[in-house]
Amino acid sequence: MASSWRRWNNILHRDLGYLCAGLTIVYAVSGLAVNHRADWNPSYAVRASTVPLQGVELPDPKAPGFAGAILAHLELEGRLRGTFRPDPETVQIFLEGSTVTVDLAARTATFEETRGRAGLRQANFLHLNEAKKLWTWMADLYAVALLVLAVTGLFVLKGRKGIAGRGAWLTAAGVAIPAVFLLLYL
Amino acid sequence: MRSRALFAVVLVLAACAPAGETPEQAASEPAAEVAAQPAVTPFDVSSFQGTTYGEPLTLAELTPVSAILADPASYIGKPVLVQGMVVAVCEEKGCWMDIASDKEFEKIQIKVDDGVIVFPLTAKGKQALVEGVVEQLELTQEQAIAEAKRMAEEHGTPFDSTSVTGPRTIFRIKGKGAVIAD
Repeated sequence: MASSWRRWNNILHRDLGYLCAGLTIVYAVSGLAVNHRADWNPSYAVRASTVPLQGVELPDPKAPGFAGAILAHLELEGRLRGTFRPDPETVQIFLEGSTVTVDLAARTATFEETRGRAGLRQANFLHLNEAKKLWTWMADLYAVALLVLAVTGLFVLKGRKGIAGRGAWLTAAGVAIPAVFLLLYL
Repeated sequence: MRSRALFAVVLVLAACAPAGETPEQAASEPAAEVAAQPAVTPFDVSSFQGTTYGEPLTLAELTPVSAILADPASYIGKPVLVQGMVVAVCEEKGCWMDIASDKEFEKIQIKVDDGVIVFPLTAKGKQALVEGVVEQLELTQEQAIAEAKRMAEEHGTPFDSTSVTGPRTIFRIKGKGAVIAD
Protein backbone atom coordinates (compact mmCIF):
# COMPACT_ATOMS: atom_id res chain seq x y z
CA MET A 1 0.00 0.00 0.00
CA ALA A 2 2.76 2.38 1.05
CA SER A 3 4.76 1.72 -2.11
CA SER A 4 1.63 2.15 -4.23
CA TRP A 5 1.02 5.78 -3.20
CA ARG A 6 4.71 6.54 -3.67
CA ARG A 7 4.60 5.02 -7.13
CA TRP A 8 1.67 7.27 -8.09
CA ASN A 9 3.40 10.22 -6.44
CA ASN A 10 6.50 9.62 -8.57
CA ILE A 11 4.51 9.15 -11.75
CA LEU A 12 2.67 12.43 -11.11
CA HIS A 13 5.94 14.20 -10.29
CA ARG A 14 7.66 12.85 -13.40
CA ASP A 15 4.88 13.61 -15.90
CA LEU A 16 4.10 17.04 -14.49
CA GLY A 17 7.83 17.73 -14.58
CA TYR A 18 7.96 16.94 -18.28
CA LEU A 19 4.86 19.03 -18.90
CA CYS A 20 6.18 22.04 -16.98
CA ALA A 21 9.77 21.98 -18.20
CA GLY A 22 9.25 24.30 -21.17
CA LEU A 23 7.29 26.93 -19.30
CA THR A 24 9.64 26.75 -16.31
CA ILE A 25 12.57 27.61 -18.60
CA VAL A 26 10.56 30.48 -20.13
CA TYR A 27 9.64 31.84 -16.68
CA ALA A 28 13.17 31.41 -15.32
CA VAL A 29 14.83 33.22 -18.24
CA SER A 30 12.23 36.00 -18.07
CA GLY A 31 12.66 36.19 -14.29
CA LEU A 32 16.38 36.78 -14.65
CA ALA A 33 15.76 39.48 -17.24
CA VAL A 34 13.01 41.25 -15.32
CA ASN A 35 14.91 41.13 -11.99
CA HIS A 36 17.44 43.55 -13.47
CA ARG A 37 14.84 45.92 -14.90
CA ALA A 38 16.53 48.83 -13.12
CA ASP A 39 19.63 48.33 -15.27
CA TRP A 40 18.10 47.60 -18.63
CA ASN A 41 14.86 47.23 -20.55
CA PRO A 42 14.24 43.48 -20.50
CA SER A 43 11.81 43.48 -23.43
CA TYR A 44 13.06 46.13 -25.80
CA ALA A 45 16.44 47.27 -27.06
CA VAL A 46 16.45 51.03 -27.54
CA ARG A 47 19.28 52.45 -29.64
CA ALA A 48 19.69 56.21 -29.87
CA SER A 49 22.07 58.42 -31.81
CA THR A 50 22.15 62.17 -32.34
CA VAL A 51 23.34 63.87 -35.51
CA PRO A 52 23.85 67.60 -36.09
CA LEU A 53 21.66 69.42 -38.60
CA GLN A 54 24.06 72.34 -38.98
CA GLY A 55 24.05 73.73 -42.48
CA VAL A 56 20.80 71.96 -43.32
CA GLU A 57 18.00 74.20 -44.47
CA LEU A 58 15.08 73.18 -42.28
CA PRO A 59 11.59 73.77 -43.63
CA ASP A 60 8.88 75.34 -41.49
CA PRO A 61 8.06 72.70 -38.86
CA LYS A 62 4.36 73.30 -39.53
CA ALA A 63 4.80 72.54 -43.23
CA PRO A 64 3.58 69.11 -44.39
CA GLY A 65 6.96 68.41 -46.00
CA PHE A 66 8.98 68.91 -42.81
CA ALA A 67 9.09 65.25 -41.77
CA GLY A 68 9.90 64.13 -45.31
CA ALA A 69 12.77 66.61 -45.56
CA ILE A 70 14.29 65.47 -42.27
CA LEU A 71 13.92 61.80 -43.15
CA ALA A 72 15.47 62.39 -46.56
CA HIS A 73 18.41 64.20 -44.98
CA LEU A 74 18.93 61.37 -42.50
CA GLU A 75 18.44 58.84 -45.30
CA LEU A 76 15.76 57.07 -43.28
CA GLU A 77 13.07 54.97 -44.83
CA GLY A 78 9.94 53.52 -43.31
CA ARG A 79 6.27 54.23 -42.97
CA LEU A 80 5.60 57.61 -41.42
CA ARG A 81 3.06 57.23 -38.63
CA GLY A 82 2.78 60.87 -37.67
CA THR A 83 4.44 63.90 -36.14
CA PHE A 84 4.03 65.72 -32.83
CA ARG A 85 5.32 69.00 -31.45
CA PRO A 86 5.61 68.80 -27.64
CA ASP A 87 6.87 72.38 -27.61
CA PRO A 88 7.74 75.07 -30.19
CA GLU A 89 11.37 73.94 -30.37
CA THR A 90 10.82 70.21 -30.78
CA VAL A 91 9.31 68.02 -33.47
CA GLN A 92 8.90 64.29 -33.02
CA ILE A 93 8.62 62.19 -36.16
CA PHE A 94 7.22 58.71 -35.62
CA LEU A 95 8.13 55.88 -37.97
CA GLU A 96 7.40 52.18 -37.76
CA GLY A 97 9.67 51.10 -34.87
CA SER A 98 11.63 54.33 -34.56
CA THR A 99 11.34 57.98 -33.59
CA VAL A 100 13.28 61.01 -34.78
CA THR A 101 13.30 63.95 -32.38
CA VAL A 102 14.33 67.21 -33.99
CA ASP A 103 15.60 69.94 -31.68
CA LEU A 104 15.06 73.07 -33.73
CA ALA A 105 16.99 75.30 -31.33
CA ALA A 106 20.06 73.07 -31.08
CA ARG A 107 19.65 71.96 -34.72
CA THR A 108 20.06 68.28 -33.93
CA ALA A 109 18.12 65.15 -34.77
CA THR A 110 18.04 62.19 -32.39
CA PHE A 111 17.18 58.88 -33.95
CA GLU A 112 15.78 56.31 -31.53
CA GLU A 113 15.10 52.80 -32.67
CA THR A 114 13.06 50.37 -30.59
CA ARG A 115 13.29 46.66 -31.23
CA GLY A 116 11.80 43.80 -29.24
CA ARG A 117 14.52 41.55 -27.82
CA ALA A 118 14.20 38.24 -29.65
CA GLY A 119 12.93 35.55 -27.29
CA LEU A 120 12.94 37.77 -24.21
CA ARG A 121 10.12 40.00 -25.42
CA GLN A 122 7.95 36.91 -25.92
CA ALA A 123 9.05 35.29 -22.62
CA ASN A 124 8.29 38.47 -20.68
CA PHE A 125 4.96 38.82 -22.48
CA LEU A 126 3.93 35.46 -21.04
CA HIS A 127 5.67 35.72 -17.66
CA LEU A 128 4.25 39.18 -16.90
CA ASN A 129 0.86 38.07 -18.21
CA GLU A 130 0.54 40.82 -20.77
CA ALA A 131 -1.55 38.39 -22.79
CA LYS A 132 -4.33 38.27 -20.16
CA LYS A 133 -7.49 36.39 -21.32
CA LEU A 134 -7.07 32.60 -21.52
CA TRP A 135 -3.38 32.84 -20.67
CA THR A 136 -4.28 33.96 -17.13
CA TRP A 137 -5.94 30.58 -16.54
CA MET A 138 -3.09 28.74 -18.20
CA ALA A 139 -0.61 30.50 -15.91
CA ASP A 140 -2.78 29.66 -12.89
CA LEU A 141 -2.81 26.04 -13.96
CA TYR A 142 0.96 26.13 -14.30
CA ALA A 143 1.28 27.60 -10.79
CA VAL A 144 -0.89 24.81 -9.39
CA ALA A 145 1.24 22.29 -11.27
CA LEU A 146 4.37 23.78 -9.66
CA LEU A 147 2.77 23.42 -6.25
CA VAL A 148 2.02 19.77 -6.96
CA LEU A 149 5.57 19.30 -8.25
CA ALA A 150 7.00 20.81 -5.07
CA VAL A 151 4.90 18.64 -2.78
CA THR A 152 5.32 15.39 -4.72
CA GLY A 153 9.05 16.14 -5.00
CA LEU A 154 9.35 15.89 -1.24
CA PHE A 155 8.22 12.27 -1.32
CA VAL A 156 9.99 10.90 -4.38
CA LEU A 157 12.64 9.12 -2.32
CA LYS A 158 12.31 7.20 0.90
CA GLY A 159 14.95 6.39 3.44
CA ARG A 160 18.00 8.42 4.49
CA LYS A 161 18.01 10.52 1.30
CA GLY A 162 14.27 11.18 1.49
CA ILE A 163 12.23 13.69 3.46
CA ALA A 164 12.94 11.78 6.67
CA GLY A 165 16.70 12.34 6.33
CA ARG A 166 18.83 14.51 4.07
CA GLY A 167 15.70 15.83 2.34
CA ALA A 168 14.43 17.38 5.57
CA TRP A 169 17.58 19.44 6.01
CA LEU A 170 17.59 20.65 2.44
CA THR A 171 13.88 21.49 2.59
CA ALA A 172 14.42 23.41 5.84
CA ALA A 173 17.27 25.33 4.21
CA GLY A 174 15.03 26.19 1.27
CA VAL A 175 12.39 27.60 3.61
CA ALA A 176 14.98 29.41 5.74
CA ILE A 177 16.57 31.33 2.85
CA PRO A 178 13.54 33.51 2.02
CA ALA A 179 12.73 33.77 5.75
CA VAL A 180 16.17 35.25 6.44
CA PHE A 181 15.76 37.80 3.66
CA LEU A 182 12.33 38.74 4.98
CA LEU A 183 13.83 39.31 8.42
CA LEU A 184 16.60 41.42 6.89
CA TYR A 185 14.54 43.56 4.56
CA LEU A 186 10.94 43.62 5.73
CA MET B 1 0.15 2.44 -19.27
CA ARG B 2 -1.07 4.18 -16.13
CA SER B 3 1.50 6.94 -16.59
CA ARG B 4 0.17 7.50 -20.13
CA ALA B 5 -3.35 7.78 -18.75
CA LEU B 6 -2.19 10.35 -16.19
CA PHE B 7 -0.48 12.36 -18.91
CA ALA B 8 -3.72 12.38 -20.91
CA VAL B 9 -5.71 13.57 -17.87
CA VAL B 10 -3.27 16.45 -17.31
CA LEU B 11 -3.59 17.50 -20.96
CA VAL B 12 -7.40 17.38 -20.85
CA LEU B 13 -7.41 19.49 -17.66
CA ALA B 14 -5.18 22.07 -19.34
CA ALA B 15 -7.48 22.24 -22.38
CA CYS B 16 -10.60 22.66 -20.23
CA ALA B 17 -9.39 25.82 -18.50
CA PRO B 18 -12.15 28.45 -18.73
CA ALA B 19 -11.72 31.45 -21.01
CA GLY B 20 -10.71 34.85 -19.58
CA GLU B 21 -13.45 37.42 -19.69
CA THR B 22 -16.66 36.23 -21.29
CA PRO B 23 -18.98 38.54 -23.26
CA GLU B 24 -21.56 38.02 -20.51
CA GLN B 25 -19.12 39.29 -17.89
CA ALA B 26 -18.27 42.30 -20.02
CA ALA B 27 -21.93 43.06 -20.69
CA SER B 28 -22.85 42.79 -17.02
CA GLU B 29 -20.50 45.60 -16.08
CA PRO B 30 -22.29 48.87 -15.40
CA ALA B 31 -21.81 51.39 -18.18
CA ALA B 32 -19.86 54.38 -16.96
CA GLU B 33 -21.66 57.67 -16.84
CA VAL B 34 -20.83 60.03 -19.66
CA ALA B 35 -19.37 63.33 -18.61
CA ALA B 36 -21.81 66.11 -19.27
CA GLN B 37 -19.40 68.40 -21.10
CA PRO B 38 -20.39 70.49 -24.09
CA ALA B 39 -17.26 69.53 -26.06
CA VAL B 40 -18.15 65.87 -26.52
CA THR B 41 -19.11 64.37 -29.87
CA PRO B 42 -20.82 61.02 -30.53
CA PHE B 43 -18.36 58.24 -31.37
CA ASP B 44 -18.85 54.63 -32.36
CA VAL B 45 -16.02 52.76 -30.60
CA SER B 46 -16.62 49.68 -32.74
CA SER B 47 -15.46 51.67 -35.76
CA PHE B 48 -11.99 52.00 -34.23
CA GLN B 49 -9.99 48.89 -35.09
CA GLY B 50 -6.92 47.79 -33.19
CA THR B 51 -5.61 45.87 -30.21
CA THR B 52 -7.58 46.20 -26.99
CA TYR B 53 -5.84 46.74 -23.66
CA GLY B 54 -7.71 46.39 -20.38
CA GLU B 55 -11.48 46.58 -20.21
CA PRO B 56 -13.74 47.02 -23.24
CA LEU B 57 -14.64 50.63 -24.03
CA THR B 58 -18.17 51.57 -23.04
CA LEU B 59 -18.49 55.32 -23.63
CA ALA B 60 -20.12 56.57 -26.81
CA GLU B 61 -19.00 60.19 -26.74
CA LEU B 62 -15.54 61.49 -27.48
CA THR B 63 -14.04 64.32 -25.45
CA PRO B 64 -11.25 66.35 -27.07
CA VAL B 65 -8.04 66.27 -25.00
CA SER B 66 -7.83 70.05 -25.44
CA ALA B 67 -11.21 70.47 -23.71
CA ILE B 68 -9.95 68.50 -20.69
CA LEU B 69 -6.70 70.45 -20.53
CA ALA B 70 -8.51 73.78 -20.93
CA ASP B 71 -10.64 73.17 -17.85
CA PRO B 72 -9.32 70.09 -16.05
CA ALA B 73 -10.98 70.89 -12.74
CA SER B 74 -14.45 70.39 -14.21
CA TYR B 75 -13.54 66.92 -15.47
CA ILE B 76 -12.01 65.50 -12.28
CA GLY B 77 -13.63 62.21 -11.36
CA LYS B 78 -15.55 61.99 -14.61
CA PRO B 79 -15.18 59.18 -17.14
CA VAL B 80 -14.00 60.29 -20.57
CA LEU B 81 -13.25 58.76 -23.95
CA VAL B 82 -10.32 60.42 -25.70
CA GLN B 83 -8.48 59.83 -28.95
CA GLY B 84 -5.00 60.83 -30.03
CA MET B 85 -1.59 59.75 -31.25
CA VAL B 86 0.62 57.91 -28.75
CA VAL B 87 3.68 60.14 -28.32
CA ALA B 88 5.40 58.50 -25.33
CA VAL B 89 5.23 55.18 -23.49
CA CYS B 90 6.64 54.14 -20.10
CA GLU B 91 9.86 52.37 -21.00
CA GLU B 92 10.13 50.50 -17.73
CA LYS B 93 6.75 48.86 -17.24
CA GLY B 94 4.43 50.15 -19.96
CA CYS B 95 2.32 51.60 -17.14
CA TRP B 96 1.60 54.94 -18.79
CA MET B 97 1.46 56.56 -22.18
CA ASP B 98 1.07 60.11 -23.37
CA ILE B 99 -1.36 60.89 -26.13
CA ALA B 100 -1.25 64.04 -28.20
CA SER B 101 -3.97 66.61 -27.90
CA ASP B 102 -5.94 67.92 -30.85
CA LYS B 103 -4.17 71.23 -30.17
CA GLU B 104 -0.47 71.98 -30.66
CA PHE B 105 2.02 71.51 -27.83
CA GLU B 106 -0.45 69.61 -25.67
CA LYS B 107 -0.58 66.03 -24.48
CA ILE B 108 -2.17 64.10 -21.64
CA GLN B 109 -0.91 61.12 -19.69
CA ILE B 110 -2.86 57.89 -19.46
CA LYS B 111 -1.85 56.07 -16.27
CA VAL B 112 -2.76 52.48 -15.61
CA ASP B 113 -2.08 50.16 -12.68
CA ASP B 114 1.27 48.41 -13.00
CA GLY B 115 0.89 45.06 -14.71
CA VAL B 116 -2.87 45.36 -15.18
CA ILE B 117 -2.45 47.01 -18.55
CA VAL B 118 0.95 47.06 -20.29
CA PHE B 119 1.26 49.51 -23.17
CA PRO B 120 3.84 48.38 -25.72
CA LEU B 121 6.80 50.62 -26.43
CA THR B 122 6.15 50.11 -30.13
CA ALA B 123 2.83 51.99 -29.85
CA LYS B 124 4.52 55.36 -30.38
CA GLY B 125 3.06 57.14 -33.38
CA LYS B 126 -0.09 55.01 -33.45
CA GLN B 127 -3.58 56.31 -32.86
CA ALA B 128 -5.21 55.31 -29.57
CA LEU B 129 -8.71 55.45 -28.19
CA VAL B 130 -8.73 55.51 -24.40
CA GLU B 131 -11.40 55.39 -21.75
CA GLY B 132 -10.70 56.41 -18.17
CA VAL B 133 -11.38 58.83 -15.38
CA VAL B 134 -9.73 62.25 -15.12
CA GLU B 135 -7.74 62.59 -11.91
CA GLN B 136 -5.74 65.26 -10.19
CA LEU B 137 -2.42 64.63 -8.49
CA GLU B 138 -0.96 67.08 -6.00
CA LEU B 139 2.79 66.66 -5.65
CA THR B 140 4.84 68.37 -2.98
CA GLN B 141 8.11 69.88 -4.17
CA GLU B 142 9.99 66.82 -2.88
CA GLN B 143 7.62 64.48 -4.70
CA ALA B 144 7.85 66.58 -7.85
CA ILE B 145 11.66 66.42 -7.72
CA ALA B 146 11.57 62.65 -7.18
CA GLU B 147 9.15 62.23 -10.08
CA ALA B 148 11.25 64.43 -12.39
CA LYS B 149 14.36 62.47 -11.41
CA ARG B 150 12.65 59.16 -12.10
CA MET B 151 11.45 60.35 -15.50
CA ALA B 152 14.93 61.62 -16.39
CA GLU B 153 16.43 58.25 -15.45
CA GLU B 154 13.82 56.44 -17.48
CA HIS B 155 14.51 58.56 -20.55
CA GLY B 156 18.27 58.68 -19.96
CA THR B 157 18.26 62.47 -19.94
CA PRO B 158 20.17 64.80 -17.59
CA PHE B 159 18.39 65.77 -14.39
CA ASP B 160 18.53 69.18 -12.75
CA SER B 161 16.75 69.32 -9.39
CA THR B 162 16.69 73.13 -9.51
CA SER B 163 14.32 72.94 -12.48
CA VAL B 164 11.56 71.95 -10.03
CA THR B 165 10.82 75.09 -8.06
CA GLY B 166 7.70 74.18 -6.13
CA PRO B 167 4.72 71.86 -5.69
CA ARG B 168 3.12 70.54 -8.85
CA THR B 169 -0.42 69.69 -9.89
CA ILE B 170 -0.84 67.00 -12.53
CA PHE B 171 -4.02 66.22 -14.41
CA ARG B 172 -4.08 62.84 -16.07
CA ILE B 173 -6.46 60.07 -17.04
CA LYS B 174 -6.62 56.90 -14.98
CA GLY B 175 -6.97 54.47 -17.88
CA LYS B 176 -9.55 51.70 -17.73
CA GLY B 177 -9.31 50.42 -21.27
CA ALA B 178 -7.72 51.37 -24.56
CA VAL B 179 -7.64 50.39 -28.19
CA ILE B 180 -4.42 51.06 -30.05
CA ALA B 181 -4.61 50.98 -33.84
CA ASP B 182 -2.56 48.19 -35.43
